[in-house]
Amino acid sequence: MAELTLDGVTKWFDDGGDRIVAVDDADVEIEDGEFLVLVGPSGCGKSTTLRMVAGLETVSQGDIRLGDHSITDEPPTTRDIAMVFQSYALYPHMTVRENMSFGLEESTDMPDDEIRSRVAETAEMMGIADLLDRKPRELSGGQQQRVALGRAIVRDPEVFLMDEPLSNLDAKLRAQMRTELQRIQEDLDVTTMYVTHDQTEAMTMGDRIAILDDGRLQQVGTPLECYHEPANQFVAGFIGEPSMNFLDVELAGGSLVGDAFEYPLSEETLADLEGHDSLVVGIRPEDIELDGAADASHSYPTTVDVVEPMGNENNVYLTFDDDASAQTVVVTVSGMRKVDAGQQVAARIPEEAIHVFDRETGRALHNRTLDRAEVTEPNV
Amino acid sequence: MSSPPAGPTPESNTRRERLARAARNADRTRIALYAVLGALVGFYLAPLEAGLMTAFKTTDAFNRSVPFLPPIAEGFTLEPWRVAFRELWNGLINSLLLAVPATVLSAGLGSIAAYGLTTIDWKYQMPIVALFVAGIFIPYQAVLVPLSRLFAIVDTQSLLSVLWGLPLMEEHYASILNLIVTHVAYGIPITFLLFRAYYQSFSNEMIEAAKLDGASVFSIYRNIVLPLSKPMFAVTLIYQFTQIWNDLLFALVILPSGGGAAAPVTVALNALSGGIVQSFNTQMAGAFVAALPTLIVYVLFGEQFAKGVAS
Repeated sequence: MAELTLDGVTKWFDDGGDRIVAVDDADVEIEDGEFLVLVGPSGCGKSTTLRMVAGLETVSQGDIRLGDHSITDEPPTTRDIAMVFQSYALYPHMTVRENMSFGLEESTDMPDDEIRSRVAETAEMMGIADLLDRKPRELSGGQQQRVALGRAIVRDPEVFLMDEPLSNLDAKLRAQMRTELQRIQEDLDVTTMYVTHDQTEAMTMGDRIAILDDGRLQQVGTPLECYHEPANQFVAGFIGEPSMNFLDVELAGGSLVGDAFEYPLSEETLADLEGHDSLVVGIRPEDIELDGAADASHSYPTTVDVVEPMGNENNVYLTFDDDASAQTVVVTVSGMRKVDAGQQVAARIPEEAIHVFDRETGRALHNRTLDRAEVTEPNV
Repeated sequence: MSSPPAGPTPESNTRRERLARAARNADRTRIALYAVLGALVGFYLAPLEAGLMTAFKTTDAFNRSVPFLPPIAEGFTLEPWRVAFRELWNGLINSLLLAVPATVLSAGLGSIAAYGLTTIDWKYQMPIVALFVAGIFIPYQAVLVPLSRLFAIVDTQSLLSVLWGLPLMEEHYASILNLIVTHVAYGIPITFLLFRAYYQSFSNEMIEAAKLDGASVFSIYRNIVLPLSKPMFAVTLIYQFTQIWNDLLFALVILPSGGGAAAPVTVALNALSGGIVQSFNTQMAGAFVAALPTLIVYVLFGEQFAKGVAS
């Protein structure tokens, strides 16, 4: 079995006496065969975490276990881990076949004909069988990407590590490889740790996602958990495209009071906010209704500022009519609906869809209410 | 709608004229460029051409004609070449015995040292890199006396006396061995620096991928780094071969006086011109004979050399 456990893993760099912490006390358990996506903005420590698992960086503190034995102090050569790099890192002087055979030749004492047949099999699976005798420079970016994946797969390792493997592909190919990579990972059922800065990749590919910011794990959960029940304001803002709207508010007299509006709350919601005054209210763009049902207390007169048509939907930027700070709120509406800049609309913010965060700590105090039945695991 | 009419407008006419004028101007500058280039080629090749012509002339013809004119009729002779080959033959052999191993060793050791100090990370490597770099700046003249003292103390000829009895071995090979050691030691800093700059341009991820593929430090060198070093090997091999082949100073200092049986071609060439009667045709032929191997090396490794320099 190969579950991968990160137990209080910390990495710091000494910079002339100063200690710069890159990864702070990360605890993650990745089950056997699970696809975990490590996501966060650049410089958040996600690549460093991956490189510590690979053994390319030393661990300053904590333990990394594969199955039940610690690999923290093992060199990368013996960890039985394969990694796909962002630059693919193919050996330029070797043919595709040699690139794929190299790992097996170095790490096993498999006979040559078995290596040959395994490479051929993997190449067939990856659709690169006809490229086996070419050198990397004769391949397109997408083909090189497949070779890099094939080189990792042929090793049949305990763990796959992927460091933004799709970020050098064009958008169309990236979407295609995303699906293919998921299918391959499911077929092979190998524990996978995947690093990306792209929240779409995180949402669509991961069994679970771990969100990292500034070296700290913010939340580990299924994509839908992170989307609907973010642990804090960072996660709420990072996951989802376009981002969640945030409005600074104060709690006063059972209502949230912002610059341009007052938002009365129900008893249930109020109970969650007990003891906190400075708050941020968050609402996802798709949850705001334009010209919604007459619900005077949660409807606000607004003006359409900008409309971004996406085809299937429109991103509409609204400003509150009497708002001096000109804060905009983004709303997504169906692409068939006609909305023009300058138009006056009533925006309704339904109470069951709001998230409330503490302004100081960013911690989520209240998350949207969900009809649980909607959020069960998808039927496969 | 008032769109401009299709077809050539007055504006595009003048543009065509301007282009034609530019082409004529370009022709003129091109002619001037080739003239200058031609003059430069002539300037640089003239001494070489004069030398080559002289090498084919009898002494008599040389005295009576301008050096760069070709020999005519009975003024033509191959005798200088025959003499030069005969006189320099031993020196050519010695120089080959010296330059080939010394070149290969200094390039190979420089490459290994650069790999160990660049691609592999370990503590305290910078002081060692600094030592290598410092080696480049030690002038030849500063080490001459210590060198001759060193080889006076370390008498390789008697230390390796068991070897000289073997077939194909000669006693004077001990002096060549001394020269090889000296040239290798003196060549490593520069080859190290060239390889280091080259290895620094390698993708770090590629080396890391090899590590994760289970390759040991030695295996990474043999399977990844060494095969990718070909262009830089061409550069260092040509550079070192030329340096060592053309060296006279070390040979004069390290070899027993007069060079003896171990004299490399540079020393032999020096002796060739040392006669009382100056026979310029033999000297010129000798110079060409001595320079021939470096030319061959350039031709053989030229393409790789260009690649290495470009990187």
